[in-house]
Amino acid sequence: MNTLRGSTVVALLLAAASSAWAHHSATMFEQTKTITVEGVVKEFQWTNPHSWLLVDVTDKNGKVTTWGFEAEGPSTLQRAGIRPSEFKAGTRVTMTGRPMKDGRPAAIWVLAVRGDGKKFDPREGFQVK
Amino acid sequence: MKLTSLVATAVLLIGTALLVNTVRAEDAAEARQRMIELGKAHKTAESLYLALKERAHGGRRLAPSSMPDWSGVYTRARGGITFDPDQQRGAPPTAKLTPEFQRKLAERIEMANKGIEWDPISTCSPPGHPRWLTEPFLRDFVVTPDQTYLINEMVNDIRRIYTDGRGHIAEEDRLPLYNGDSIGFWDGDKLVIHTNQLQAGIYQRRNPDYTDQVETVEIWQKVNPRLIEVDVWVYDPPALAEPWYTKQSYAKLDDQNKTLRIRYWHCGENQNNTVVETDGGGTQFRDFTFDGQGSGIGDQGSGGKP
Repeated sequence: MNTLRGSTVVALLLAAASSAWAHHSATMFEQTKTITVEGVVKEFQWTNPHSWLLVDVTDKNGKVTTWGFEAEGPSTLQRAGIRPSEFKAGTRVTMTGRPMKDGRPAAIWVLAVRGDGKKFDPREGFQVK
Repeated sequence: MKLTSLVATAVLLIGTALLVNTVRAEDAAEARQRMIELGKAHKTAESLYLALKERAHGGRRLAPSSMPDWSGVYTRARGGITFDPDQQRGAPPTAKLTPEFQRKLAERIEMANKGIEWDPISTCSPPGHPRWLTEPFLRDFVVTPDQTYLINEMVNDIRRIYTDGRGHIAEEDRLPLYNGDSIGFWDGDKLVIHTNQLQAGIYQRRNPDYTDQVETVEIWQKVNPRLIEVDVWVYDPPALAEPWYTKQSYAKLDDQNKTLRIRYWHCGENQNNTVVETDGGGTQFRDFTFDGQGSGIGDQGSGGKP
């Protein structure tokens, strides 16, 4: 069963602020807090200027909440090794993100750890190599 | 070799490396200062451009057999989304602003620190030049004898640089444009550009405003197989107390698998990306659609306050 670990923790991941800044300000997201949730991929919206990974998270009472994790568009994510084929519907994943200040179930995608342990960091898409 | 010899050799190598880096840093600082002084020696962008053209004896016309190879996919090499890549982390922008624009900048940064920030490109209007120089996505540059195309992936943004000897549009026929009107000439392997007819905008978030009087002079040069560098002077008398010199750079990306693509963008591809300016001047999403109904391509407007 998927569980919501969602306790908000203070993080030192200020560098994560780089994600989602290219098209609009990221001030609607928390700047210094992260959440971590476990769930299964519902849909990968592979779109410009931002992509959204939708993850169904089930809490201890069995209630399912769909979380959206925002990242950059396809060309940047591709450079980070992130593609829809890596996140097919039903894929188990643990997501870390900076949540919305207003409490809606959305966050900036900081890190995804798939069920097989493979990690996906969208910021790598801005690396020059 | 004895241990002492190994240690001595290592110390010598490290010391040499540090010395070389120090000398390079000093060289870069001196070069930057020379460029700053060159900009200050001219009261207008046009004056600087004409001086560079005179120094190049009018420039040369490219022939198909003598065109520089700028092929490939590039991205901004450094600077994040600050206009001046040499701005120190946590320091204010390096521009010398007039008092009015210094005050505007201070207010913008103060508001952003409070979490209140709105970027005019949030609704997918073009960044406009000179902000165009800073956007962090893919780019390609197409050189032809009479025209060079400088292309940024973001909102399909193309600057056209006319190098066939034409001048600017007559002053009475001009209008403010996102990317202005650019003419240029080749000085050896350097492309020198003068741009006017620009719209007002911002250099970047937490950076200053510029007015519709802004003009730029740029010198583009491929300095090695993987890097194009650009000397940029911005003139904008209402906002800048003196020309703002910066060195921009674009790195050629490794694309051995030929998978990098520059594709058409539209903000309306996914309604979950739609943001609006709040009454307080901040940024907020509209309602999300996480209901598994797809991305809602093209079924929403953009902009406007909620």
